[in-house]
Amino acid sequence: MWDAALIALEQFANPVHWGMLMAGVMAGTVIGILPGLGGIACVAILLPFIYTLDVHTAMILLVGSLAVVHTSDTITSVLIGTPGSAAAAATVLDGHPLAKQGQAARALSAAFLSSMIGGLIGAVFLTLSLPIARPLVLLFGSPELLMLCILGLSFAGFLTGGAPLKGGLAACLGLLLGSVGSAPADAVDRYTFGQLYLLDGIPLVGVALGIFGIAEIIDLLAKGGRIAERIGLGHGWLQGAKDVVQHWGIVLRGSLIGVWAGILPGIGATAGSWMSYGHVVAMARDRDKFGKGDIRGVIAPESANNSVEAGDFIPTLLFSVPGGAPAAILLGALFFYGIQPGPRMVQENLDLIFTIIWSFAIANTIGAALCFLLSPALARLTWIPFARLAPAIVVTIFFGAFQSSQHFGDIYAMLGLGLLGWLMKQLGWARAPFLVGFVLTKPTEQYLWLSISRYDFEWLLRPGVIVMGLVLLASIFWTVRGKRRGKDLPAEESSEESVVLGKTPSILFTSFVLLLAAAALYEARSFPYLGAIFPMAATIPAIVMAAVQLVIELRTDRIAPGDETRKRTTTALEYFLSLVLYLLLIMLLGFGIATALFVFIFLYGWVKMPWFRALIYTGSVVGVALLMNQLLGLYWPQGILLG
Amino acid sequence: MGWIHFKAKLPVYKWLAVCALSLGLATQALAAAPYYEGKTIEVIIPFPVAGGSDIWIRTIAPYLQKNIPGAPKFNFRNIGGGRGIPGMMEFALKAKPDGHMVLVSSATNYFPVLVGDKAAKYDFRQWKPLLVNPVGGVMYASPASGIKKVEDLAKAKNLIYGGISAIGLDLIPLISLELLELDARGVLGFSGRGHARIAFERGETNLDYQTTPAYNATVLPLIKEGKAIPLMTFGQLDDQGNIVRDPAVPDLPTVPEVYEKLKGKKPSGKFWDTYKIFMPSGFAVQKILWIKVEAPAEALRVFYAAADQLAKDKEFLTKTDKILGGYPLLRGDRLEKTIQQAFQIDPEIQRFVREWVGKKYRVKFD
Repeated sequence: MWDAALIALEQFANPVHWGMLMAGVMAGTVIGILPGLGGIACVAILLPFIYTLDVHTAMILLVGSLAVVHTSDTITSVLIGTPGSAAAAATVLDGHPLAKQGQAARALSAAFLSSMIGGLIGAVFLTLSLPIARPLVLLFGSPELLMLCILGLSFAGFLTGGAPLKGGLAACLGLLLGSVGSAPADAVDRYTFGQLYLLDGIPLVGVALGIFGIAEIIDLLAKGGRIAERIGLGHGWLQGAKDVVQHWGIVLRGSLIGVWAGILPGIGATAGSWMSYGHVVAMARDRDKFGKGDIRGVIAPESANNSVEAGDFIPTLLFSVPGGAPAAILLGALFFYGIQPGPRMVQENLDLIFTIIWSFAIANTIGAALCFLLSPALARLTWIPFARLAPAIVVTIFFGAFQSSQHFGDIYAMLGLGLLGWLMKQLGWARAPFLVGFVLTKPTEQYLWLSISRYDFEWLLRPGVIVMGLVLLASIFWTVRGKRRGKDLPAEESSEESVVLGKTPSILFTSFVLLLAAAALYEARSFPYLGAIFPMAATIPAIVMAAVQLVIELRTDRIAPGDETRKRTTTALEYFLSLVLYLLLIMLLGFGIATALFVFIFLYGWVKMPWFRALIYTGSVVGVALLMNQLLGLYWPQGILLG
Repeated sequence: MGWIHFKAKLPVYKWLAVCALSLGLATQALAAAPYYEGKTIEVIIPFPVAGGSDIWIRTIAPYLQKNIPGAPKFNFRNIGGGRGIPGMMEFALKAKPDGHMVLVSSATNYFPVLVGDKAAKYDFRQWKPLLVNPVGGVMYASPASGIKKVEDLAKAKNLIYGGISAIGLDLIPLISLELLELDARGVLGFSGRGHARIAFERGETNLDYQTTPAYNATVLPLIKEGKAIPLMTFGQLDDQGNIVRDPAVPDLPTVPEVYEKLKGKKPSGKFWDTYKIFMPSGFAVQKILWIKVEAPAEALRVFYAAADQLAKDKEFLTKTDKILGGYPLLRGDRLEKTIQQAFQIDPEIQRFVREWVGKKYRVKFD
């Protein structure tokens, strides 16, 4: 085995291979930074080029780009609070507050370093587990995978912030949103209202960009000014590295969680990074700083989201079952070279497996270094008045969200959830449980369905299930005990000023959630029994919790929001309307013209930029979009009136 | 006489002019650019990136580009989700008769039409098949089920088949189970055939099928280790439209052959009629590249010519062997009749299928 590893390494003596690796790393870095575009976009863009290459070179290019996407997507998450890809949403939680406190450098350096170490640990783990990976994967049946998902869901409980009731409600809303679409086994379409778009559920990218991205953009715009005050980057870089060394245990555990999330079918990068974040909160002694800029909250998800990709190679290469879409494209590329991964892969193509592992490890290191080099320049973006950055970010997000299924539904969903996320933030509702609930609904429900239809209720007696059940009980016990001892659960950054909007909006919002849950429950009565389990599990507790929450809110004293808050709320809503207007313009005039109009009007009319600078800005945004469209074959939304 | 002379000369002048003009036109026509020169062909893929059909077209497109005069650029648009219907509708509504837009389709796109899904408002008769690629499927069982050879199927107890959805490709294996009257049930809800195969390997299910390429790579090693027993194929169609042995797996009997073996008579009845309707669109003509029926003859011709070229192209055949699954890439015009027949379903059989999957697998049709 080690011979093959060395032979594969020798390839990197070839400058062509180095060039390919660098090209892959560059592409991955740029695409990772762009919000909404992740691994899928990356590999899809590079795919046309590989048809002229030999299989090793092609793998070096593809894997090189995949390896760095989850390193560079941190940059947007930390600096702008907009997840660079769905898997980076967990990093937003603590990374962005750190940036606002002027500690962007520290957060980024900790993130890059833990990403890199996570990736390397993933590569080592991948190598060591090659001989035993197949039996290991086969150890996990549907019931065990189900318990793992439930364990992941239980982590949502740790992310509820200072308001467990609201956090629980948020998780239920996430579950409910996750159950939109065809139930597993196609037995019934739930909450689709006859819309084809909703059949497969709402794409994760749209949800993550809406609930964190759009919400944050509106909020930053309404606050005005810049993201962080202009203070020197200082020793932040060194501090970040020190943080990683100090919390090496978290890096190790996070990486291993990530590898497992990648190895086991159906869990995926996003769930992996949230599980890692959840576990670090659950195990922490002092939790009050999480969500307000705790460096551990950056290290944990970052060390997981790179190692997920390494773990993902195991089902892809040994079972021919890709764990995520990027791996699926990799699989397609292998098919093209006449290689069908499967049980024989280790015997017949060991050299190729090692080419993949080495490319992954080397690209990971180079990618982290590249991001280090880029960040001082990028960190300066936080000093620019945000209103000037916003149009470019908004255009990228709209474009990125549209790529996932090329349907305007993606943008409706993103805007709708953006408003929801903004309201949640203003009213002190944690958004993390919402996303965890959403991400884990599909696998949990699927494995629940499979467990019951295969084993009836005997699955509950399997030893693996019992062990994980005990872990689950223990973790619940610890939380409750911790709570009794007066340890507060972490609160999201917003809840410092918790209910910004005052009493009436709170009551209105809770009533809205109550009504929504009730209506969803009413709709669920017509679903066949397995298809109804999830909607009921989400709505019945939601109705109870919302009712209690409503009573609590009715009994609190009325605090009138100050003039400034009122003004800020109005401004935020105005900015939101401008985004809706942009959507309408796209629908009417197509993406190109609408973007030009939106960017120019925004800058000239709102930000009061001099017209020639606004014009240059508009020109560059449209030009870059055009270039992407031409070079990469990405598709633009078309308008009704103009193409 | 002057004017007569003049008049006599005029036709000559006219004739010369016509000559010159037609000569000019002819040279222009000879030098005329090929139909697709400098053009971009937009390929609508009604699936997300990296699905089977996506990889199929992305792999053969560079070879098509090489073999179509003018080397048109291929641009891919994946419109995933909604059981493939939005992507199909995009092509149905937006494709112009100029042949600059083509569509890839697979079994997922045919079954909604066959089971009468109201949302599937596309009509295959509006399109012409350019290229067709059959795919085969092989069923196999676990030795733990007590099955040693295909004849043991009849007395095997409690067979469990793992599948994705009762109105997808799994319909064909599920119909086969009914046709052969086995003591078997389907556990549905896996997110892909690979996941179903992993469940088979870990013993959750004991009956499974894979498409031929996946079977060759992932199941043959299991058979060698004695962990799987090959049973039967779904068969392919011959030129007359009869179900015959799969040329890629000629050693295994087809489902109707197994029926004869077990029951001692030719298959008949409702489930057999259903099998005959669904098998071709599910396997024998599974992947199709379409163009609008109004597209210029030149556009169709170059695609057919490219298919002929590729059939002789050694590099193409070896490089795409795994993607094409050991089956030829066929010219659409040769199979047009079979294809259009495959999408016609007797309303009575349609009702029968809907009732059966509705009752047995709790599928709710709107």
